[in-house]
Amino acid sequence: MIQFRDGFYADVRTEDRSRTFISYQAGMLEEMKTRVERRAFIRVYDGKMWYYASVTDLDNLQKTLDGLYDAATPNDKIAEDPIVRRFECNRDTVMCFKDCSVRDIPTKDKQALLLSYLPLLSEDACITMPQGAYIDRNSLFHFQSSLGADISFDYQTCGITFSCSMAEGEKKFMGHWQKGATRFDELKGLEDIIRAAVVEQTSFMRNSVPVVPGKYPVVLAPEAAGVFAHESFGHKSESDFMLSDESMRNEWQLGKTVGSPILSIAECGSVPGCGYVPYDDEGTRARKNYLIKNGVLAGRLHNAQTAAALNEDLTGNARAIDCTFEPIVRMTNTYIEGGDLDFDELVAPIKKGYFIKTIKHGSGMSTFTIAPSLAYEIIDGKLGNPVQISVLTGSVFETLGLIDGLTRDVHMLSFVTGGCGKLEQANLPVGFGGPYVRVSSMNVQ
Amino acid sequence: MEKEFLTKTSRSVTLNVTGGKIDSFREQEETIATVRVYENNCIGVAGCLGTPDEKALTDKATEALELKIPYPCNLDGALEKEDLHEEEIIPVPELIPTMQAFLDRLGEACPRFAFSNKISLSYNKTEYRNSLGRHLTSSGRNLSIQLIAQNRGSGNLFDTAFMYDGNHFDADALLAQFKRDYDAYYVPADIEPGRYPVLLETSDLFGTFLRHFVAEMYVSGASLVSGKLGQKVFSEKLSFRNDMNPATNPGVCFFDDEGCVAPDLRPTLIDKGTLTCLLTSKKSSSKFGLPNLGTANAAYDGVPGLGFNRFYVDPTAKSLKELVPGKAVYVVMASGGDTTPGGHFATPVQMAYLVEDGKLVGRLPELNIGGNFFDMLGNDYIGAVSGDLHPDRILCAVNMDVNK
Repeated sequence: MIQFRDGFYADVRTEDRSRTFISYQAGMLEEMKTRVERRAFIRVYDGKMWYYASVTDLDNLQKTLDGLYDAATPNDKIAEDPIVRRFECNRDTVMCFKDCSVRDIPTKDKQALLLSYLPLLSEDACITMPQGAYIDRNSLFHFQSSLGADISFDYQTCGITFSCSMAEGEKKFMGHWQKGATRFDELKGLEDIIRAAVVEQTSFMRNSVPVVPGKYPVVLAPEAAGVFAHESFGHKSESDFMLSDESMRNEWQLGKTVGSPILSIAECGSVPGCGYVPYDDEGTRARKNYLIKNGVLAGRLHNAQTAAALNEDLTGNARAIDCTFEPIVRMTNTYIEGGDLDFDELVAPIKKGYFIKTIKHGSGMSTFTIAPSLAYEIIDGKLGNPVQISVLTGSVFETLGLIDGLTRDVHMLSFVTGGCGKLEQANLPVGFGGPYVRVSSMNVQ
Repeated sequence: MEKEFLTKTSRSVTLNVTGGKIDSFREQEETIATVRVYENNCIGVAGCLGTPDEKALTDKATEALELKIPYPCNLDGALEKEDLHEEEIIPVPELIPTMQAFLDRLGEACPRFAFSNKISLSYNKTEYRNSLGRHLTSSGRNLSIQLIAQNRGSGNLFDTAFMYDGNHFDADALLAQFKRDYDAYYVPADIEPGRYPVLLETSDLFGTFLRHFVAEMYVSGASLVSGKLGQKVFSEKLSFRNDMNPATNPGVCFFDDEGCVAPDLRPTLIDKGTLTCLLTSKKSSSKFGLPNLGTANAAYDGVPGLGFNRFYVDPTAKSLKELVPGKAVYVVMASGGDTTPGGHFATPVQMAYLVEDGKLVGRLPELNIGGNFFDMLGNDYIGAVSGDLHPDRILCAVNMDVNK
């Protein structure tokens, strides 16, 4: 039982994380392990400074907490501090994966599932060095605060990922495919999907030609649209970047028009998948937040410090990659909301443009970038030949204003590798998605 | 049955900076340990967090042999070597006042910038032993100042960055360097589209190319350099290495996670234009009959894989002015670029300075730069300089297409 002292705010976050990783390369077992770690992150706040400690010795949490208290200065008015007043005091238990925990599935079953798919990567002679991995994670979180918050919840992801080199003469391509899920059973029966992905990528390797750089209309598939939303606007909505420069508050006033009137971008931690965060790392309950609603700046993402500084409400976005870091403002699930077209209607008006189906990575500051993997030309309103594009770039705000078509359906994507990086904290699991998005002009290189 | 033991201890204190003020203090301390055993060309691995019970870990690693994970038993032979750098950079109790005083001076010198992010003081110690009598110990300390700067009123997440990584703290020298960059930031500069020498940090030049040097990709034929091992395919002026030398990479461990120690502590991929090695572990080296680079990295409970510490290229000029006597584009931030399968590289440049006669002239607008892999590391490669503009960095000069 943690004993909190008067005169301070404090919280203790623990995670019991189990992670299985099995990988094969060219048919040979490379790695097979299950790591179970228990870590804690402790915070003490005295109204002026935060004092943090990351520990693996969970039997001595009180001693570490007391050490932080000793470094801090007692503050009789800590309860009136605007940050402390913001904290929610939830008491809840949310266990979604008790009946299907990947901890309960024998490792040999996970290995057998992966092995059943590996032959699909050898059906085309151009493929060499195929790699396949099974990855899962089950975490049990517990959060307690000096205000009385006491929250327990679980989190789970599992998935299969494949990559391979494809080469034929001078033609080369790195093939990738991934399926992220939250339940092991969702990973079964994927043969046809994997085979189709392999066929498409080998065809891309053989038939794709370099693009002629220029400005073109572009249609982004949900994966690319989700990354665009995440990189181009999601990071700008993380309001910790507004703390250092007060003039930023004028630049980013809510109600300002920032995009096309058909564009709405939302953020929500309660969406199932890899970005599922029912309570953030400060104990704030997840909720849906609009970043852009009908082209207008509608909200931003907060932890308690930024919400207090900007006098806005909490949003449930205080997150750390694990218990070695403090929570900072991060995204959970970010997505563009759907429109009123179907895919054929979306591409129909394009005389010459490009369809970005999958991507390797993206980034976004004042200029965004998207590095496509699979891309196709659009000629006279129809999909055409595969093309090699190194990068799409553009001004974020100009491009947000050039979105002129959205399909109805929204697809959310979930992953078991990679993740979002921000400063020192990399590979935070986040979800993203959207509809198919048409942009009237993008710089294609 | 051969065995190897690896223990890593790390301690760090990290300060968070918001608006030029320190608002948090974080302590982290961790010990991780690994035991690997080898039998019948298979590996068994066990690891733990915290002080290891070597006997228990060895038993667990031996049990893991049953997984039959193939791995060659190719331990390096007896060698006793210790390289300890224990000298304190700043005593921990003095870190907050010392750094707040530095930040206050920086804020006065650069009033139009709002500074944030981290300052970190770290200590790392690594010990490797194996059953052939090899025993290596390395320790080092590092001060890392990673400040991002917002040009007040720009509306951007950040506009530029002031960075330092090293094993000493000279506030006056750092302030002078940061102030020089700050002054140049507010001088507008421009450049006509065309081909120019572009100054890139080693990580910006080699970051997206590195995967082409991975042994598996090389052997598969999908690498741009496939089939070119031993050939002179790059510029004579280019030597590309992994910097595991504490003299130029403070705090680094001088051996890899398999106990390999490279000559000059800089395992070499390209030597004077010749591709001499690929990124390998002992496994891929043995499997494909390639030389072992000696830069393996392993999770504490995992089979060794590939690692890389810091990109190093041999300097070819004594000063920036000697390297690029006329106009050049100095890239400070370029994120989001990539290389096509055919080797065309393109990236937007979010922040760049115009350099003339080795001096910063002013800030350029956002640019796009591009080039071809073999040209950039071949005919278009001009050379490199160390320690000019920034004492802790190497800048490479490459002729590239520059567009707005």
